[in-house]
Amino acid sequence: MSSASGVGRAAPYMNPYLAGIGLGLVLLASFVVMGQGLGASGSMTSAVAVMVNAVAPEHAQANEFYVDYLDRGVGHPLKTFLTFEVLGVIVGGFVSGMLAGRVRRTIEKGPRISTRGRLLLAFAGGGLMGIGAKLARGCTSGQALTGGAMLNFGSWAFMMMIFAGAYMLAYFVRRQWR
Amino acid sequence: METKSPWRPTRNQTLALIAFFLGALAIPGNPYQGSVVELNTQELATIVDTEVDHVTAEELADWIIQGDTEYRLIDLREEAAFAEYHIPTSENVPTSELLDYPLLRNEKIVLYSDGGIHSAQAWMLLRAQRFQGVYILLGGLDSWIEEILFPALPTDATPQQTAEFERVAHVSKFFAGTPRTGVDAQSASAAIPLPTMDPSAAPIVPKRKRKKKKGC
Amino acid sequence: MMAPLYSYGLFGDEFSLVLAFIIGIGFGFFLERAGFGSAKKLAAQFYLTDLAVFKVMFTAIVTAMLGLFYLSWIGWLDLSLVYLTPTFIWPQIAGGILLGFGFVVGGYCPGTSLVAASTGKVDALIYIGGIFAGIFAFGEVFPRITNFFYSGDMGEVTMPALFGLPYGLVVFAVVLMALGGFWGAGAVERIFGAKQAES
Repeated sequence: MSSASGVGRAAPYMNPYLAGIGLGLVLLASFVVMGQGLGASGSMTSAVAVMVNAVAPEHAQANEFYVDYLDRGVGHPLKTFLTFEVLGVIVGGFVSGMLAGRVRRTIEKGPRISTRGRLLLAFAGGGLMGIGAKLARGCTSGQALTGGAMLNFGSWAFMMMIFAGAYMLAYFVRRQWR
Repeated sequence: METKSPWRPTRNQTLALIAFFLGALAIPGNPYQGSVVELNTQELATIVDTEVDHVTAEELADWIIQGDTEYRLIDLREEAAFAEYHIPTSENVPTSELLDYPLLRNEKIVLYSDGGIHSAQAWMLLRAQRFQGVYILLGGLDSWIEEILFPALPTDATPQQTAEFERVAHVSKFFAGTPRTGVDAQSASAAIPLPTMDPSAAPIVPKRKRKKKKGC
Repeated sequence: MMAPLYSYGLFGDEFSLVLAFIIGIGFGFFLERAGFGSAKKLAAQFYLTDLAVFKVMFTAIVTAMLGLFYLSWIGWLDLSLVYLTPTFIWPQIAGGILLGFGFVVGGYCPGTSLVAASTGKVDALIYIGGIFAGIFAFGEVFPRITNFFYSGDMGEVTMPALFGLPYGLVVFAVVLMALGGFWGAGAVERIFGAKQAES
């Protein structure tokens, strides 16, 4: 299971340690250049805040949570470091995928679950992730990687909990993957 | 005699060894060493002599009226004094908290206190911490009160002075000040009560203050 | 002392967005290189057959941590200027568990879901939709949970500070822990990978 995905001309994955070093250097570059680490959920939150504000401005602006994200950015709440970083992530992922022949319209799932089931679970998983990330002020990139490198106590505790939570539930959703 | 083949570490093992050595080497280190500043007193003295950057009350008033957000205005006084009256758009940061306060080193920072002494001291502090864009409000709050809140037109004013006064009076009204002409102009501005700060009104906090949240 | 470059005014806000984009490209590139555009590979971590998630994550953390440490030690980086997220221990614990649930149920985390979506995984797109829904739900409930959200405020606290240990020592400990973990991960993969191959 640790070799190439897909069929045909897909290349094998990079040695995880080398990929980790690459990732670590990118993270370090972010610290050195911007004084902050990476992130992903923050940009999605900005998008949600902007959408809510567009549909119901008074409601959005009365809610401290949305206001915090509407206040960010260079002139516009979507012009933030994280949003542009996330755009880069999409591009970078695509480029790597293209180089490795791993770009294909598929649905990742195990053999024992239907497509519909998988998509439902994907949505549910995303929902849980969204709530969790906002509670914890970050996700694996923003808190675990970034805070991890900075020896941030809260981030390390958070990271442990992610693994704990995932292992706890893994047995119950095993049919999705194997 | 047997010849042993030399042990060649795999790539992963090499990485592990490098990591181990870097980790071990780190034990005696202190990463916060870098944030200790060495004061070049000679350099600072020279700067003070030639370069202390000032902003006049009038310039500041202009920025505020224009809605300029490219500066941070710092009121160095006590909370009580700040609550009684402060220049709109200013942030209350006592000097002791200044270095912990979120300020970028490339921002335009304007300092004021009652006169000029405390702001000059704070200026020195920030410059020593490598802040580049630090300015002092020339004359401090006293100047603001005299020139902007209660500008006075002397009775024997020239037409030019009168025109000038009209302009400043306009600015003054924006800040709920009281321009003084004629007899009033003679009296000390200290006697006039300062505009009251409406406690229920939301403070005009520059938006960038909340941008401090850089998290995910 | 030159870094963080942004804090020293080397470039302005607008240009920082360009740099953000470039950094993001690097981020996404290596995520995909490691195979994290695949939910199956990511989820395998939690069935102990493929521990790439652990390996990549902790290698990245160790690399960046050592980099931060040494750059700061020699005075090229002012560590006090790098943003340290404040710790709110209770919501972070709760959030972590939920994130773990979301990870194994959905098969992605926010960063990897983007990479997966960009390489064609439809389930990743749905997942991202789920994240938006979750954030929205959180936003709506937020006014009622502010007390919990701000509970356990420990401020900006690093592990060396909390445990009263020298920073360098903690760095070394983390490296040791990671190396031990990597060695263990190899062993675990062999055991469980073999089990799976048999079944």
